[in-house]
Amino acid sequence: MSDTKVRALDQGTAPERFARGWHCLGLAERFRDGKPHGIEAFGTKLVVWADTQGEIHVLDGYCRHMGGDLTQGEVKGDEVACPFHDWRWGGDGKCKQIPYARRVPLRARTQRYPVAIRNQQVLVWHDVEGSEPDMDILPPELPGIEEGLYTDWVWESEHIIGSNCRELIDNVVDMAHFYYVHFAFPTSFRNVFEGTQATQFMESKGRPDKTGGYGDAELFLKSEATYYGPSYMINWLDTDYKGFNTEVILFNNHIPTGQDSFLLQYGIIVKKPEGLDDKTANFIAKKYAQMFGEGFLQDVHIWKNKVPVQNPLLCEEDGPVYQLRRWYEQYYVDRADIVPEMVDRFEFEVDTTKANEFWQDEVAENLRKKAEEDAAGESSADEPAEKPQMMSGT
Amino acid sequence: MASFVPTSADTLEDQRLYTSARLVEVACLDCLAKVGVKKNSEHHTSIQWTAEARRHCPELSRRTGARDTFPACPRMIASIEAAVRDGQIPIGAEDGY
Repeated sequence: MSDTKVRALDQGTAPERFARGWHCLGLAERFRDGKPHGIEAFGTKLVVWADTQGEIHVLDGYCRHMGGDLTQGEVKGDEVACPFHDWRWGGDGKCKQIPYARRVPLRARTQRYPVAIRNQQVLVWHDVEGSEPDMDILPPELPGIEEGLYTDWVWESEHIIGSNCRELIDNVVDMAHFYYVHFAFPTSFRNVFEGTQATQFMESKGRPDKTGGYGDAELFLKSEATYYGPSYMINWLDTDYKGFNTEVILFNNHIPTGQDSFLLQYGIIVKKPEGLDDKTANFIAKKYAQMFGEGFLQDVHIWKNKVPVQNPLLCEEDGPVYQLRRWYEQYYVDRADIVPEMVDRFEFEVDTTKANEFWQDEVAENLRKKAEEDAAGESSADEPAEKPQMMSGT
Repeated sequence: MASFVPTSADTLEDQRLYTSARLVEVACLDCLAKVGVKKNSEHHTSIQWTAEARRHCPELSRRTGARDTFPACPRMIASIEAAVRDGQIPIGAEDGY
């Protein structure tokens, strides 16, 4: 009887809190223009500015006096001044000065977000329990960036409305979507979760039946993507396109803005190939950024139209979704409630053999059909060209 | 306080099936580490470590620095392969888990 039972989708309920951990707000340079900046995050708006020493500070964006929007104020000296009554807030979260008042109330303290700079980016610590920032779990500082071995940054962001950010996290284990959504063959796929890190090792090649861009059969990709905490992924991508090797680093990160929305951001740098001038290297970085941008949009289209699912039904060829979510759960419970299973090392090797056999046949069939159509002289000029993707860990 | 809360009790059983069911204990032939292993096919392997096993593994403890995630301990992989050859680990999935 139970064999014929209809499978129910458990959509579950999303958490009310936002993940504990380091979250990236963007490139530091962007905030060093002497102005306050507003960033939507954690269900509120943050104000970000640089003091006279260039040090970056982050506070809740609303003045504790009468709720004025600090992001529309001014930077005065080291402080941010509210546009409503000129209350001056310091980077330590204390009100330093109220120009029209005899004294500042002792209780004039606002929510401050501890800041760390990593890889030229601003990271803030968020924890609903109000803990001190955990410097031990900061993402690594990558060598060579300060030394100018990489191209200029290409930095993009996209506000995703209608999806919880866990949809993005799920991609870490989702082997098959790389073929269907991003037009790449994953030939090898492995996951390792441990402590505050979750990694995907993938080798893939482009689908030859989807033409254009870099994502064709000539493109081989070795990808290693690690989440350092709940929202900051570094994706090392070694690409081989017709024998031309490029080392790309993709920084994929997000900030939750609400229970069903998040700001997706990604930065790309490319190791300057020897013998190429900076201009050409920067051009290559832009090209890769474009491809990843299109790749993310393919994901977004799926996310916008799918439902959340708490009980995914898996087949043998799927990755370890349940274990990944168990790992991700550690950021949503109080520290005291983290259980060993959430952080214990876990390894998973996906069997890609059956999938690749089938996909090879399918691609061959698509190519055969296309050749037939071409031979029949059918014009495919008015069909929108499908853009293949050189795919990353997302 | 839980976060993503399932609304069905069946989901808890699914979580158990996919994460902890059918794990077979494999002891490393070189160190004191013992892990839980499941093999849904020849090529698939799922390895669950514990904190204690992790402490015993000298191979994994060597890694530090950026890009330091280590795909696997080769000694443990060899130990698992030996256990498979000995028939200690049943190979095959049960309805996808």
